[in-house]
Amino acid sequence: MKTRNFFPWMVISALLAGGTARAQDAAPAASATSAVPVTTPSTLAANAYEMGLVQREDRLFVDEGLEFFRQAVKADPQFALGHAALGYFTADPKEAKDESALALKFIATAAPDEQLLIHWMNDTKNGETVEAISAMNDLLAKYPTDKRLANMAAEWLCANQGAFEHGEAVLVRLLKYDPHYYPATNNLAYCYALSGQPQLAPPLMDQYVAALPNEPNPQDSYGEIMRMLGDYPAALEHYNNALKINPHFNASQVGVASTYALMGDEAKARAQYLVAIKGTKERSTQINYRILWAMTYYRENKPRLAREAFEKVDTEAHAAGLTVQEAEIHRAMALFNPDAASALKDLDDAREDLSDTRKSNLLPGDRDNELALILQARAFIAVKAGKTDAAQATLKLLENMAQTNRSTPVQEAYHSANGAVLFAQGDYAGAIAELQEDPYNPLSLQLLSAAQTKAGQAADARKTLETLAAISDERVETAVAAPPARLALKHDAAHPVQGGAN
Amino acid sequence: MRNRLLVICVLVLSVASVAFGTDYAIVVNPANPLRALSLVELGKIFKAKTTIWPDGKGITLVLREPNSPATKFILEKVLGGTFDEEKAVLSDPGRKNAVPVVFAESDEEVMRIVGGNAGAVGVIDVYNITGGVKVIKIDDKQPFDPGYVLKGR
Repeated sequence: MKTRNFFPWMVISALLAGGTARAQDAAPAASATSAVPVTTPSTLAANAYEMGLVQREDRLFVDEGLEFFRQAVKADPQFALGHAALGYFTADPKEAKDESALALKFIATAAPDEQLLIHWMNDTKNGETVEAISAMNDLLAKYPTDKRLANMAAEWLCANQGAFEHGEAVLVRLLKYDPHYYPATNNLAYCYALSGQPQLAPPLMDQYVAALPNEPNPQDSYGEIMRMLGDYPAALEHYNNALKINPHFNASQVGVASTYALMGDEAKARAQYLVAIKGTKERSTQINYRILWAMTYYRENKPRLAREAFEKVDTEAHAAGLTVQEAEIHRAMALFNPDAASALKDLDDAREDLSDTRKSNLLPGDRDNELALILQARAFIAVKAGKTDAAQATLKLLENMAQTNRSTPVQEAYHSANGAVLFAQGDYAGAIAELQEDPYNPLSLQLLSAAQTKAGQAADARKTLETLAAISDERVETAVAAPPARLALKHDAAHPVQGGAN
Repeated sequence: MRNRLLVICVLVLSVASVAFGTDYAIVVNPANPLRALSLVELGKIFKAKTTIWPDGKGITLVLREPNSPATKFILEKVLGGTFDEEKAVLSDPGRKNAVPVVFAESDEEVMRIVGGNAGAVGVIDVYNITGGVKVIKIDDKQPFDPGYVLKGR
């Protein structure tokens, strides 16, 4: 493991872990009133769980945090909250499924409020959003000074649900209670940046960096915020500052790589991705970085090399049993594929990945989310190629999924695909309404702008195009749709329309 | 770093999903056996044409202030007309004490009233729900379901 320099306040937070006996054996410890109880008879498991939270939540050392959660459930295989936390935080779909199941298996051994936290963690993953919100709010009301709980809840609200106002309210309340709880400062900056108030983020980052000058994450976060704002030189400077503080802070290493990729320096990006891949032991994370590495070939318009690279990564993902990543690789290949028939074949392969015998390794939510994206891509590609029947058939599949699956990705994929089909039918007003239901997907924004243009809403179309052009992240959809938007705006600036429109 | 994690997740699971607006939840007291209503049935409650639950308890309607965005949205969705027309429905002297309407200053107050009154039905932002109330389905759908009718913009 890497060297760890703990903050003084983390020592204090270590005391907040609550009871460490099984619920039926002992009453919750006194500290349970300030933090959700943690029930395990094993001191080793309790300490490892606490260290998992310190690393994952407080310091944002993701891999190290996961490793501690794994140690916790190894020390106490019946540690329900330990299993739930591991299932909640891991990026490995199989581990997520297995650990969530174990959390439920042993949930009776946990204290009642701890059970509520386990349900929240599992429900957020399974698309049971109403139940998750109810559990979250009950916990927040009962444990108003549990800083990690509030921070985790706010992160979920902002990053996963887009409920920015609610997430910001939780974080502002938390920071009023403890202005020195810097993980919340960090999340509040992200929440502002994601909610369209990016000007509020840098001042918070300044506070965060000044407060923890020897920690890499503040610099890393600052780098990412600046990259989101499109200031790549500043992003690189902050990422490199983080790596100076801790050369093993791999998040910054991949941050450097992706910033170069977004800047168009793909050779440098690839070299930096390789360093990042070596810097993590998590197989799923390695494959995620490999996907980003392979994408650099598409970014520099070398489709043959890109396909070869993706095929190589696919073989690795297959060998590692990372089904979702396999599907994601084929979906990325399809989105970059200029030949519609061949792209649809890529998407067939992606669906095949999810439906092979190992599908039982996946949480249904993970599988459905990825399948929805595959079908969404299929509908878009079919519409673009004028294959109306194929688009309609795909939409029908998505519609059936959306009838029974409440997860936001499934819902958004359905509405977006429906928008694409309506666009093909010339129903631009209908298409606009549907595509607006998927407001952060660059592919949907691209088509939305086109639909607005067709509907005579030139000003709205331009605003959408500007939104799309300003997206600066690592997603494959961004790599496909954002560069043409930037080019179109550049072209418009060079050739202004006389007399104005709209 | 948080968002890097998000972006990586986006790449793998494409969870970057942001919904504008919010869904409004129809909530009742947990002791109320009711699990679902149609939008038409909800409209009848708003208009005080239905005044009691199937178990005989009188209905109380709990809303945010009449001019709040939530109440404006709900009135237009449930009753179908313009806000000004529908606001009058709530203050119609003809409804007398049938389905009294209580206006609350916050969603927390809506939940407190609904949680303490077995016959109450309220409307709140779904992100504020707690275990103190029960969310019921409208037209067989609950918040976040596709086609949920009380989805705000």
